[in-house]
Amino acid sequence: MILMIELAAACIILFPLFWAVCTAMKEPWEIVQNPGRIFPDRLLNLSNYAYVISHVPFLRYFLNSVLCSVFVCLVRLFLSALSAFTFVFYSFRARKALYFLILSTLMIPPDVLVIINYKTIASLSLTDTYLGICSVSFLGATQMFMLHQSFSQAPSSLRDASLMDGCSDMRFLFSILMPQCRGISLTLLMQIFLSQWNAYLWPLLVTNKTQMRTLQIGITMLQNAESTNYEQILSGVIMALIAPVILSLLLRRLLYHVRNASVPAE
Amino acid sequence: MKQTRCLKPYLYLLPSVSLALLFVFYPLVKNVIYSLCTVNRLGEIQFFSGFDNYRALFGKRDFFISLKNTVVLVLINVPVTVLITLLLGKISSIPHRHSAFSQTLLSIPMMISMAAIALIFKVFLNPSVGFVNAVFGIHYGGYEKKDTAMSAVLLLTVWMGIGFNYLLFLDAFRSIPGNILESARLDGAGCVRIFLAMEIPLIRPVAIYIICTNTLLALMTSGPIMIITRGGPSRATTTLVYLMYTSGYGSGNYSMAACISLVIWLISIVFSAGILHFDREKVQYT
Repeated sequence: MILMIELAAACIILFPLFWAVCTAMKEPWEIVQNPGRIFPDRLLNLSNYAYVISHVPFLRYFLNSVLCSVFVCLVRLFLSALSAFTFVFYSFRARKALYFLILSTLMIPPDVLVIINYKTIASLSLTDTYLGICSVSFLGATQMFMLHQSFSQAPSSLRDASLMDGCSDMRFLFSILMPQCRGISLTLLMQIFLSQWNAYLWPLLVTNKTQMRTLQIGITMLQNAESTNYEQILSGVIMALIAPVILSLLLRRLLYHVRNASVPAE
Repeated sequence: MKQTRCLKPYLYLLPSVSLALLFVFYPLVKNVIYSLCTVNRLGEIQFFSGFDNYRALFGKRDFFISLKNTVVLVLINVPVTVLITLLLGKISSIPHRHSAFSQTLLSIPMMISMAAIALIFKVFLNPSVGFVNAVFGIHYGGYEKKDTAMSAVLLLTVWMGIGFNYLLFLDAFRSIPGNILESARLDGAGCVRIFLAMEIPLIRPVAIYIICTNTLLALMTSGPIMIITRGGPSRATTTLVYLMYTSGYGSGNYSMAACISLVIWLISIVFSAGILHFDREKVQYT
């Protein structure tokens, strides 16, 4: 009974996706002639996919998205781990003030700052570079906060013992502390990856060259190209969806933590 | 933990703090300055002009249209999303053999990027080749008619909010201790009574969190507008963030863009403070 209700809801919610997968396999005339049909004439007709891959630098978009997401993941996790570690294990004068400073960035929605940030990036001549696309996402106050919570729960004897043995800060952080908080770190990585992969407004602003566009910008640019039709746009969309969906389904257990951990990604 | 005099902690925090200053606080201050000055098309400050920019902004019809659109988006999107995901979360929290499977299905919207689903909806709701009109035999204007464009944007934004909020509600309902509900049942309370008088108050912190984050997200709606409607038809879907983007990045009116961004920021603070204040007045159950 419950399963039935859930399945019915899922059918309604996921129907546009299912329809898009089917439509991406149709020939150009099918949707115009008979828009009410769900299934394509020929199943597994991949000509639209082939068209998109051969006419736009789709693989380049894909590569750009992967590079940016991985880059942001690594830098953001490193910086937030380093700050969280400093706030937990060091006591210094400006500790409270700096902690508050970083956390208060959460109060300011990044969307209202994009125009000035664009001018900053442009004046550093970083437009159309990976660094330009990624640099505004390096700071992760949410991740810093979450790591701060789990680092504070680590037993203080751990720190004392490693200090006694002459372990350096970096070594302590990355070979003792982070492995202890493996679960939350992986979850945060996943969360950062998804939010960067799906980012739209900022990558749109800082990229002008076709080769530097990320996947999300690339698929929306498909609709401006004159020769493309609806089916081809949708096949591009489906290709852009596949990576995060497969990743999330594989790492479903991690997503389970995401919801305890986060402000939703845009 | 001893107070250290060395520079190490400052060195460790240097990257994070400088990023916060460069990409959050500097633009915020610059926005305030821009909004109070006359700025040319290159973004160079000409002279101090007080509140002239605000006066010009409040005299524009576009501003009020987009303010109205944004408020409509928030006021419809948030309750609808919360209601749908609350019910879905409640239903899914009752365990059965295939729970994991159906939860995965229902959380799929969370993994779909905004650009992708916006393009799908654009074609799906298209008046001439879209599926909806063809099957139901109606003449729904979708994103191309002035009076239906906003409703089509709302359909999309509600869809985008389903996955994540559903998971949050599901988790909240699951973490209610069973013995409390059991004792209510023994006292003779019915299902509906338990749901309304016990479970809803118990998950209130999560609900407030969801309402807050969704309100902020809805206030910032700009992506779907950029991809699908470009603010049209005849400004029916122009939101504040989109207006800020077009006046700043599009036509180089930086002081106007700065004014709008500060107005948006102010509205977001008022909304979240309002929700939190409303929350405080009620009795705490947990």
